[in-house]
Amino acid sequence: MSFIIRGALSADLDQIMAIETECFVNDAWSREVMQSELEASHTYYLVAEVEGNLVGYAGTSQLADSVQADIQTIAVRPNQRGAGIGRALLNELFKDAKRKGAKEIFLEVRSDNTIAQKLYKLFGFKQIGLRKQYYQPDGVDAFVMKTSIIKDVDAKPLVLGIETSCDETGIGIVRGNELLANVISSSMDLHSRFGGVVPEIAARAHLEALGPVLEEALSKANVSLEEIDAIAVTNGPGLAGALMVGVGAAKALAVSTGKPIYAVNHLVGHIAADILDQGKLVTPTIALLVSGGHTSLLLVRDILNDVQLLGETIDDAAGEAFDKVARVLGLSYPGGPEIDKAAQSGNPSAFRFPRGLTLPKDMAEHRYDFSFSGLKTAVARTVELAETNNEEISIPDVAASFREAVVDVLIKKAIAACLDHDIRRLLLGGGVIANARLREYAMSECAANGIELRIPPLSLCTDNGAMIASLGAQLLMAGNEPSSLDFSADSTLSVTQIQS
Amino acid sequence: MSVTSTNPEYALAIDTSAGTTVAVLSLGSVLSEVNYLEPMTHSERIGSAIEKVLGDAKLSPGDITEVIVGRGPGPFTGLRVGLAAARYFAIGSGAKLFGVCSLDAIAYSYYQTNPEEVRPVLVTTDARRQEVFWALYSGTKNGVPIRVEGPSVSKPAVLEDHLAGQDVINCELPITASALGQVAYYQSLTDLGPSLDVTPLYLREPDAVPAKPKKVSG
Repeated sequence: MSFIIRGALSADLDQIMAIETECFVNDAWSREVMQSELEASHTYYLVAEVEGNLVGYAGTSQLADSVQADIQTIAVRPNQRGAGIGRALLNELFKDAKRKGAKEIFLEVRSDNTIAQKLYKLFGFKQIGLRKQYYQPDGVDAFVMKTSIIKDVDAKPLVLGIETSCDETGIGIVRGNELLANVISSSMDLHSRFGGVVPEIAARAHLEALGPVLEEALSKANVSLEEIDAIAVTNGPGLAGALMVGVGAAKALAVSTGKPIYAVNHLVGHIAADILDQGKLVTPTIALLVSGGHTSLLLVRDILNDVQLLGETIDDAAGEAFDKVARVLGLSYPGGPEIDKAAQSGNPSAFRFPRGLTLPKDMAEHRYDFSFSGLKTAVARTVELAETNNEEISIPDVAASFREAVVDVLIKKAIAACLDHDIRRLLLGGGVIANARLREYAMSECAANGIELRIPPLSLCTDNGAMIASLGAQLLMAGNEPSSLDFSADSTLSVTQIQS
Repeated sequence: MSVTSTNPEYALAIDTSAGTTVAVLSLGSVLSEVNYLEPMTHSERIGSAIEKVLGDAKLSPGDITEVIVGRGPGPFTGLRVGLAAARYFAIGSGAKLFGVCSLDAIAYSYYQTNPEEVRPVLVTTDARRQEVFWALYSGTKNGVPIRVEGPSVSKPAVLEDHLAGQDVINCELPITASALGQVAYYQSLTDLGPSLDVTPLYLREPDAVPAKPKKVSG
């Protein structure tokens, strides 16, 4: 749906009054008041039109040579809300007030009108006072709000993103599609003697890292908290206790600074990372996300509205399989880089390890799903058998053959998804993308099939706050309302729930 | 505004060591408070709870000069939500941040209603796994409960043996953020002042066993 914004005319009065009485049932202005508002020399009124019909209006009052403007009213028909019309009207009012030299803009809003309050917060309004029972006959209080910085609202929003879903405490800051800071504190070393991420250790580390990481991110981006337009935070999927640290912190930061908050999906965040590298996201695309916690194949038609899960692992994540096999081979944690190193001098066809869910009967039901549990067991059996028989076994050969099996199934299924959906684009994300063989294999397979391959830099592939900020910025620029403060951390959040 | 001090100080107190409790105080008197007793909803509640106590006290975040946070002990996952929120609220509002042992706030509540108590007061809270968090108090000094032992975590039977022969009063009152804020206020009147230590009182190491090479296929 498209709409146009234009100056209000006296001839619009009938339609404006129809909307006024529809939106403000008990305290609508009279026709006479509205008419004098439209005709006064110190007021500025705009209307929004869809296909020739009025759907909203808004106006300001600003005396000549005054540096203060007042927002008099704003209304959008209920069935036209959520399309960014209110935001566009305010945007134009701001431009006019700025042209006329305003330094401050004031308004009153019903204390029970939280939708309008959220919109005003986006424009930097903060509550400065309360008028008791201002709206009659309902007896509802008015909040008096003010914004003192006339923001250049056409500018790209400055968004701070907080990520704590696994073992990385990440805070990133973006301006629109541009990356300003991406600071990560990892608790990986603390988990190494346990051979895998220990949720309680990860959560403890997040709490310790929150303060220093925020400080460093603000300093790297060279911005103050005051300048931030919105806060974005991962609310799932991930480790519950770890997620809650970020969610609790982000909500308190939003309340204490008066900034709107966006609760966003971690997996979709991985896709939004590419925007920071490319300046845009080309869709539709197939995305393969591979990490210690996830192995997911996604079909992305629109990052804000249409992300579909094609398949995922039915047991271990690929990164977990690397960690477990590393333990079997006596290599250290995390297993991915260690196996990569050992595999360099190994023969990838020395052992024929199983490719999970690739047999015809599995492909019927699990075409895009993954399974690494059987592979891990097969590797362990091979190693144990050699030990029992007192045979020498080449660790480089086992590592190379195992790695080949993982990479083979990951990339083959991703390519199949591209070809099946006739989408010649593949985006990779997640920490396992660091694996050299996986990147090499993806490049050659994509080239052979005429598929464009996107691999963001590794600092944006591993879990990070910048990708969360990036998704938040996309939501904000598209005019999405902020999240309510009551959202929860959801360890099993579905990828289709892009914003909570 | 009910407070007419020339130099108003407003404290936001937060504790998530049991349920979610948040309060606003001015110079030790409580302006607003919300208490959600149920555990497990800390991360959902915390944002709205803070917004509500500020609204009820007719304050904006910038009016808050101090944030007081309960350091536990308490179940870890919930406890961290309050600690994380307190840290970021303090950063966002520019307020100072202080920590109070959550059990001290419970003891404070007890002495409020039993000011003449002379016997040792044992404060216990549920530590799950058939254990309790506990601390022992011997009265108050300048309004602040005097903790003589703890905080610790023990099996109830072990704690009973440990305290055998002492005529202790058992106290299992709920923790409130208002009491937490008042403890910090009375601490601020002493030479020592409130504590800058806001680290969690976990009292237990994370559950995790170091990995050793093992049979995976077995």
